[in-house]
Amino acid sequence: MSDTHPEMHERRILHTELLWAFGVGIFVAAALGTIVFTALSISVNPPCNVERLDPKTLHLSGEFAEQNLGTTVGGDGSVTVRAIATQFMFAPRCIAVPAKRPVTLRFASPDVIHGLLITGTNVNTMVVPGFVAQVHTQFTRTGDLLMPCHEYCGIGHSEMWATVQVLPDDQFKPGPDGRVSCAQR
Amino acid sequence: MPSDEISAADSAFETMDSIDETALADAMRVVPLGAAILAGSMVALLVLGYLLIYTLVFLPRGTVG
Repeated sequence: MSDTHPEMHERRILHTELLWAFGVGIFVAAALGTIVFTALSISVNPPCNVERLDPKTLHLSGEFAEQNLGTTVGGDGSVTVRAIATQFMFAPRCIAVPAKRPVTLRFASPDVIHGLLITGTNVNTMVVPGFVAQVHTQFTRTGDLLMPCHEYCGIGHSEMWATVQVLPDDQFKPGPDGRVSCAQR
Repeated sequence: MPSDEISAADSAFETMDSIDETALADAMRVVPLGAAILAGSMVALLVLGYLLIYTLVFLPRGTVG
Protein backbone atom coordinates (compact mmCIF):
# COMPACT_ATOMS: atom_id res chain seq x y z
CA MET A 1 0.00 0.00 0.00
CA SER A 2 2.76 2.44 0.90
CA ASP A 3 4.43 1.48 -2.42
CA THR A 4 1.41 2.25 -4.63
CA HIS A 5 0.60 5.62 -3.14
CA PRO A 6 3.71 7.45 -4.39
CA GLU A 7 3.25 5.77 -7.80
CA MET A 8 -0.35 6.88 -8.06
CA HIS A 9 0.54 10.41 -7.05
CA GLU A 10 3.35 10.54 -9.58
CA ARG A 11 1.12 9.17 -12.33
CA ARG A 12 -1.52 11.74 -11.54
CA ILE A 13 0.99 14.56 -11.52
CA LEU A 14 2.46 13.35 -14.81
CA HIS A 15 -1.02 13.17 -16.30
CA THR A 16 -1.76 16.72 -15.20
CA GLU A 17 1.51 18.02 -16.61
CA LEU A 18 1.01 16.27 -19.94
CA LEU A 19 -2.50 17.64 -20.22
CA TRP A 20 -1.18 21.12 -19.51
CA ALA A 21 1.63 20.77 -22.05
CA PHE A 22 -0.89 19.57 -24.64
CA GLY A 23 -3.19 22.55 -24.02
CA VAL A 24 -0.39 25.10 -24.20
CA GLY A 25 1.00 23.35 -27.27
CA ILE A 26 -2.38 23.76 -28.99
CA PHE A 27 -2.33 27.50 -28.31
CA VAL A 28 1.27 27.95 -29.47
CA ALA A 29 0.55 26.01 -32.66
CA ALA A 30 -2.57 28.09 -33.30
CA ALA A 31 -0.74 31.38 -32.78
CA LEU A 32 2.16 30.37 -35.03
CA GLY A 33 -0.24 29.00 -37.62
CA THR A 34 -2.17 32.29 -37.70
CA ILE A 35 1.04 34.26 -38.16
CA VAL A 36 2.31 32.04 -40.98
CA PHE A 37 -1.10 31.88 -42.68
CA THR A 38 -1.65 35.66 -42.68
CA ALA A 39 1.92 36.19 -43.88
CA LEU A 40 1.49 33.82 -46.83
CA SER A 41 -2.11 34.56 -47.81
CA ILE A 42 -2.55 38.32 -47.34
CA SER A 43 1.10 39.38 -46.94
CA VAL A 44 0.79 40.59 -43.36
CA ASN A 45 4.35 40.90 -42.15
CA PRO A 46 6.70 43.48 -40.67
CA PRO A 47 8.18 45.71 -43.36
CA CYS A 48 11.22 43.85 -44.66
CA ASN A 49 12.19 45.51 -47.92
CA VAL A 50 15.88 45.33 -48.81
CA GLU A 51 16.61 47.83 -51.54
CA ARG A 52 19.72 49.96 -51.66
CA LEU A 53 20.31 53.47 -52.88
CA ASP A 54 22.96 56.14 -52.47
CA PRO A 55 21.92 58.52 -49.66
CA LYS A 56 24.34 61.22 -50.76
CA THR A 57 22.77 61.75 -54.18
CA LEU A 58 19.14 60.72 -53.74
CA HIS A 59 17.90 64.30 -53.82
CA LEU A 60 19.55 65.00 -57.16
CA SER A 61 17.94 62.50 -59.49
CA GLY A 62 16.01 59.28 -59.59
CA GLU A 63 13.04 58.15 -57.62
CA PHE A 64 13.50 60.49 -54.62
CA ALA A 65 14.35 63.67 -56.45
CA GLU A 66 12.23 66.53 -55.13
CA GLN A 67 9.89 66.64 -58.10
CA ASN A 68 8.97 62.98 -57.58
CA LEU A 69 8.07 63.24 -53.91
CA GLY A 70 4.47 62.89 -52.76
CA THR A 71 1.59 60.72 -53.92
CA THR A 72 1.46 59.37 -57.46
CA VAL A 73 -1.23 57.26 -59.09
CA GLY A 74 0.20 54.94 -61.71
CA GLY A 75 -1.38 53.98 -65.00
CA ASP A 76 -2.72 50.78 -63.45
CA GLY A 77 -4.36 52.66 -60.58
CA SER A 78 -1.66 51.77 -58.06
CA VAL A 79 -0.95 54.46 -55.47
CA THR A 80 2.66 55.10 -54.48
CA VAL A 81 3.85 57.60 -51.90
CA ARG A 82 7.47 58.71 -51.95
CA ALA A 83 8.86 60.74 -49.07
CA ILE A 84 12.19 61.68 -47.62
CA ALA A 85 12.95 61.63 -43.92
CA THR A 86 15.68 64.08 -43.10
CA GLN A 87 16.88 66.18 -40.20
CA PHE A 88 14.37 67.46 -39.08
CA MET A 89 11.40 67.16 -41.41
CA PHE A 90 9.56 64.88 -43.76
CA ALA A 91 9.29 65.97 -47.37
CA PRO A 92 6.52 66.46 -48.29
CA ARG A 93 5.08 67.68 -45.01
CA CYS A 94 1.58 66.56 -45.97
CA ILE A 95 0.82 63.29 -47.73
CA ALA A 96 -2.54 62.53 -49.35
CA VAL A 97 -3.65 58.92 -49.56
CA PRO A 98 -6.94 57.25 -50.55
CA ALA A 99 -9.04 55.27 -48.12
CA LYS A 100 -9.67 51.55 -48.66
CA ARG A 101 -7.23 51.18 -51.54
CA PRO A 102 -3.80 49.49 -51.51
CA VAL A 103 -1.08 52.08 -50.99
CA THR A 104 2.69 51.59 -51.21
CA LEU A 105 4.75 53.98 -49.09
CA ARG A 106 8.44 54.37 -49.87
CA PHE A 107 10.86 56.32 -47.71
CA ALA A 108 14.53 57.20 -47.91
CA SER A 109 16.92 59.14 -45.71
CA PRO A 110 19.93 61.18 -46.85
CA ASP A 111 21.42 61.61 -43.41
CA VAL A 112 20.77 59.62 -40.23
CA ILE A 113 18.50 56.81 -39.12
CA HIS A 114 14.89 57.90 -38.74
CA GLY A 115 11.76 55.97 -38.00
CA LEU A 116 8.13 56.70 -38.54
CA LEU A 117 4.70 55.50 -37.68
CA ILE A 118 1.26 56.62 -38.79
CA THR A 119 -1.16 56.91 -35.88
CA GLY A 120 -4.18 54.64 -35.96
CA THR A 121 -2.58 52.32 -38.50
CA ASN A 122 -0.05 49.52 -38.50
CA VAL A 123 2.45 51.52 -40.54
CA ASN A 124 5.67 51.51 -38.58
CA THR A 125 9.16 51.32 -40.03
CA MET A 126 12.73 52.47 -39.67
CA VAL A 127 14.28 54.58 -42.41
CA VAL A 128 17.95 53.73 -42.68
CA PRO A 129 20.33 55.73 -44.91
CA GLY A 130 21.33 53.61 -47.89
CA PHE A 131 18.06 51.66 -48.00
CA VAL A 132 14.51 52.24 -49.19
CA ALA A 133 11.90 51.52 -46.54
CA GLN A 134 8.70 50.20 -48.12
CA VAL A 135 5.33 49.52 -46.51
CA HIS A 136 2.17 48.25 -48.22
CA THR A 137 -1.08 49.00 -46.46
CA GLN A 138 -4.71 50.01 -46.77
CA PHE A 139 -6.06 52.93 -44.81
CA THR A 140 -9.38 51.87 -43.34
CA ARG A 141 -10.72 55.22 -42.14
CA THR A 142 -10.72 58.74 -43.55
CA GLY A 143 -9.27 61.64 -41.61
CA ASP A 144 -6.03 63.39 -40.78
CA LEU A 145 -3.36 61.21 -39.20
CA LEU A 146 -0.08 62.12 -37.56
CA MET A 147 3.21 60.69 -38.83
CA PRO A 148 5.94 61.50 -36.31
CA CYS A 149 9.56 60.43 -36.41
CA HIS A 150 10.00 57.82 -33.71
CA GLU A 151 13.75 57.22 -33.86
CA TYR A 152 15.92 59.84 -32.18
CA CYS A 153 17.69 61.67 -34.98
CA GLY A 154 19.08 64.76 -33.29
CA ILE A 155 18.08 67.91 -31.50
CA GLY A 156 15.01 68.59 -33.66
CA HIS A 157 13.62 65.07 -33.43
CA SER A 158 10.62 66.04 -31.31
CA GLU A 159 9.47 68.52 -33.96
CA MET A 160 9.84 66.13 -36.86
CA TRP A 161 6.40 65.07 -38.03
CA ALA A 162 4.14 65.07 -41.06
CA THR A 163 0.41 64.85 -41.69
CA VAL A 164 -1.23 62.03 -43.61
CA GLN A 165 -4.61 62.96 -45.10
CA VAL A 166 -6.72 59.91 -45.77
CA LEU A 167 -9.19 61.07 -48.39
CA PRO A 168 -12.42 59.45 -49.52
CA ASP A 169 -12.70 58.49 -53.18
CA ASP A 170 -14.51 61.65 -54.23
CA GLN A 171 -11.72 63.86 -52.90
CA PHE A 172 -8.76 61.76 -54.04
CA LYS A 173 -8.43 63.06 -57.58
CA PRO A 174 -5.06 62.80 -59.32
CA GLY A 175 -4.01 65.63 -61.63
CA PRO A 176 -2.97 65.08 -65.24
CA ASP A 177 0.50 64.06 -64.08
CA GLY A 178 -0.94 61.45 -61.71
CA ARG A 179 0.03 63.48 -58.63
CA VAL A 180 -2.26 64.08 -55.67
CA SER A 181 -1.68 66.85 -53.14
CA CYS A 182 -3.20 67.40 -49.76
CA ALA A 183 -6.59 69.06 -49.70
CA GLN A 184 -6.24 72.70 -48.68
CA ARG A 185 -8.42 73.48 -45.70
CA MET B 1 13.76 6.12 -8.12
CA PRO B 2 15.69 2.78 -7.98
CA SER B 3 13.73 0.05 -6.25
CA ASP B 4 16.59 -0.97 -3.98
CA GLU B 5 16.70 2.42 -2.28
CA ILE B 6 14.60 2.90 0.78
CA SER B 7 12.06 5.63 0.39
CA ALA B 8 11.64 8.07 3.20
CA ALA B 9 7.95 7.21 3.08
CA ASP B 10 8.78 3.67 4.18
CA SER B 11 10.78 4.80 7.19
CA ALA B 12 9.69 3.61 10.58
CA PHE B 13 9.71 7.23 11.67
CA GLU B 14 6.65 7.74 9.49
CA THR B 15 4.45 6.52 12.29
CA MET B 16 5.53 9.54 14.29
CA ASP B 17 4.38 11.90 11.49
CA SER B 18 1.25 13.87 12.34
CA ILE B 19 -0.04 13.79 8.72
CA ASP B 20 -2.16 10.75 8.11
CA GLU B 21 -2.34 8.91 4.80
CA THR B 22 -6.00 9.68 4.14
CA ALA B 23 -5.48 13.40 4.43
CA LEU B 24 -2.45 13.15 2.18
CA ALA B 25 -4.39 11.22 -0.42
CA ASP B 26 -7.14 13.85 -0.36
CA ALA B 27 -4.60 16.62 -0.79
CA MET B 28 -2.90 14.82 -3.67
CA ARG B 29 -6.25 14.45 -5.37
CA VAL B 30 -7.24 18.11 -5.29
CA VAL B 31 -3.88 19.92 -5.46
CA PRO B 32 -3.00 19.10 -9.11
CA LEU B 33 -6.54 19.98 -10.15
CA GLY B 34 -6.35 23.27 -8.29
CA ALA B 35 -2.98 24.10 -9.83
CA ALA B 36 -4.33 23.31 -13.30
CA ILE B 37 -7.39 25.52 -12.78
CA LEU B 38 -5.32 28.42 -11.48
CA ALA B 39 -2.65 28.26 -14.16
CA GLY B 40 -5.20 27.47 -16.82
CA SER B 41 -7.42 30.42 -15.99
CA MET B 42 -4.47 32.81 -15.92
CA VAL B 43 -3.22 31.61 -19.30
CA ALA B 44 -6.75 31.67 -20.68
CA LEU B 45 -7.04 35.33 -19.68
CA LEU B 46 -3.73 36.09 -21.40
CA VAL B 47 -4.83 34.27 -24.56
CA LEU B 48 -8.15 36.13 -24.50
CA GLY B 49 -6.33 39.44 -24.11
CA TYR B 50 -4.05 38.58 -27.04
CA LEU B 51 -6.98 37.65 -29.27
CA LEU B 52 -8.98 40.75 -28.31
CA ILE B 53 -6.08 43.07 -29.11
CA TYR B 54 -5.41 41.23 -32.38
CA THR B 55 -9.00 41.40 -33.61
CA LEU B 56 -10.13 44.73 -32.13
CA VAL B 57 -6.95 46.80 -32.50
CA PHE B 58 -4.51 45.29 -35.01
CA LEU B 59 -6.85 44.07 -37.75
CA PRO B 60 -9.00 47.27 -37.88
CA ARG B 61 -5.84 49.31 -38.43
CA GLY B 62 -5.37 47.70 -41.84
CA THR B 63 -3.08 45.08 -43.25
CA VAL B 64 0.61 45.92 -43.41
CA GLY B 65 3.36 44.22 -45.30
